[in-house]
Amino acid sequence: MMNVKTVLATAALTLFAIGAQAEEALADPREIVRKAERVAFYSGDDGRSEARMLITDNQGRRQVRQFTILRNTRDDDQTQDMMVFFSRPADVRNTVFRVIKRAETDDDRWLYLPGLDLVKRISAGDKRTSFVGSHFFYEDVSGRSTDLDDYELLETTDEHYRLRGTAKNPSEVEFSHYEVTIDRETLLPVGTDYYNDRGEVYRQMEVKKIETIEGYPTVVHSIMRDLDTGGETEMQFRNVRYDLGIPENIFSERSLRNPPTDWLN
Amino acid sequence: MRWTSLAIRSLLVSPLLLSGPLLAQTDDGWDDWETGDWEEEAGPAFPLYGFIELGAGSRLDRSPHHDRLSLGEARARLETDGSTSRFQYTVKGDLVYDEVLGEWDAQARELTVSNGIGDHLDAKLGRQVMTWGSGDYVFLNDLFAKDWQAFFIGRDDEYLKAPQDALRLSGYFDRANIELAWTPEFEPDVYPRGERLSVFNPMEDQIIGEAQAFVADTPDDDELALRVYRNIGSTEWALYGYDGFHKSPTALSSDGQPTFSRLRALGGSVRLPLGPGLFNAEVSHHDSLDDPSGTDPRTPNSQWRALVGYEKELLTRLTGSLQLYLEHTQDHDELVLNSPNPEWEAEQNRTLVTTRLTWRDARDTMTLSLFAFYSPSDEDGHVRPRFDYRFDDNLSLSTGFNLFFGEETHSFFGQFEDNNNAYARIRYAF
Repeated sequence: MMNVKTVLATAALTLFAIGAQAEEALADPREIVRKAERVAFYSGDDGRSEARMLITDNQGRRQVRQFTILRNTRDDDQTQDMMVFFSRPADVRNTVFRVIKRAETDDDRWLYLPGLDLVKRISAGDKRTSFVGSHFFYEDVSGRSTDLDDYELLETTDEHYRLRGTAKNPSEVEFSHYEVTIDRETLLPVGTDYYNDRGEVYRQMEVKKIETIEGYPTVVHSIMRDLDTGGETEMQFRNVRYDLGIPENIFSERSLRNPPTDWLN
Repeated sequence: MRWTSLAIRSLLVSPLLLSGPLLAQTDDGWDDWETGDWEEEAGPAFPLYGFIELGAGSRLDRSPHHDRLSLGEARARLETDGSTSRFQYTVKGDLVYDEVLGEWDAQARELTVSNGIGDHLDAKLGRQVMTWGSGDYVFLNDLFAKDWQAFFIGRDDEYLKAPQDALRLSGYFDRANIELAWTPEFEPDVYPRGERLSVFNPMEDQIIGEAQAFVADTPDDDELALRVYRNIGSTEWALYGYDGFHKSPTALSSDGQPTFSRLRALGGSVRLPLGPGLFNAEVSHHDSLDDPSGTDPRTPNSQWRALVGYEKELLTRLTGSLQLYLEHTQDHDELVLNSPNPEWEAEQNRTLVTTRLTWRDARDTMTLSLFAFYSPSDEDGHVRPRFDYRFDDNLSLSTGFNLFFGEETHSFFGQFEDNNNAYARIRYAF
């Protein structure tokens, strides 16, 4: 007669086997990054979050940025609208950054400068430059399309996939390649090492904290390090909400001049 | 100079005085980075923002018309905004001590209430800055007030746009968006008039300075500006209309005073990504209503204005742009025939080329920029090198040159040659 321990152990093993089957490792790198992209940037039909950045330079001097992000995925399930409303520091307060992220063509991007009432369009080339003085790039905030890179699966462990990404058009990027670690459970990218031509990691993203919010695994704390010069930027999110039903017309030039306070607060 | 030493002292002292309470405020709610949790902080009940800025500038050469000091000011900006259940409000104003004119001045930059009317309409009433059009420092359909004095003496770019008292109605619809700006009392540009910058005065056939500074007669009438715009895909389309007056005093009244004649403008613009950069084109017809045949030498002729521009990232963080601009004067033969000084009249086709180069460092801390205007037809130009440095979230420095050159003293940029200047501004924002 089996004792209780054995029964429990058998049950646990059975459950584990079922669980393992459900989480069978993916083998196609393209499928992995596509799924990771969906989880990282397409959770919910729309979303809102408050963000702050702590920028530390190589001499330890600190600067801060605070902003609220509204995001919406259009009906084609590809095109995304995003607006970033800055509240701190004083010299960027009321500045608004607007992006339309498109699947096939370059993103459309605008910056609204309230002092001049100027809607300034930003050319596509500038996407791998500092986002408001931080160590994150514009493209890190809106999301780099996985279609722009080729991928190779380097390693699969119980917890992670590790992939190597190489730009299809190397002249558009400053890295020679990068290695991204994707969490198998949530499928969120949790760390990225960017390599230069000498094979050294010069830039590094690390996720510090993930929370499941309204059913969606969400990065709420991450850090971007500049290993070349020694500075880093920490980014945190709070009051993250999904599926709010934000009307599509909120994502327009109107909201640059008249921020949609109902959706921001 | 007493003011200078005072300025230096206050410059040294003010950040120290201010940084205590303000830095404490900045730290408020941000001590929790180490714990990894971001606590909710209570916002200030009455948020107050602004900056303190000291600016100094000097002419590079002695001018027979002005002192050496081209910019000398201590400026305090205060602003607040908020909303009640019925409307939003913004109050933004400057208190300035201006050493060049030796006076204190208080200026409201923005004083507005705004409100949404139904789902498709926003209204904003009061003193405000307005901008539209596709040009970079070149304006065809943007006939809102500009402060060219501020632009040429080295104030912050923000001050190129002068505020005006207006009602702005914005309608947002599926087919197109419509904006209407009604300014009950015509607001001209802040035009160079001898006071701060020496200019060519055709009446006196010479460059005039502070002693001969003039004030133009401003019509007591309203102006109306309209824009209809829509984005289709990545392309921005816009149509514009304006009914008011020329923004600079290019006309003479019957008693020989500089004044502003009637202007009606119609135009359009387009802006879109092209290749690796951005392309823009704009056209505008300026109908000089007081001189339809172009025979009145006291009134400017009608013009066609056209612009094409292209901007792209040349290297990482180095952006370059090029604009080609044409001002075509209609009835130019009539103009020359009737002009008392035909040799001073602009050519029928005034051409202008502008280039902009902007380089930023990796952290956006340092910005180097070079903007240049060159007119092949007038053989004159204006070069604006600038260096901006951001020490931290509060303290920043801007310094640069405003350089003018030209073959003739009466051409648009050539007349400012005695005003070549260098400036520096240091700003503490809070």
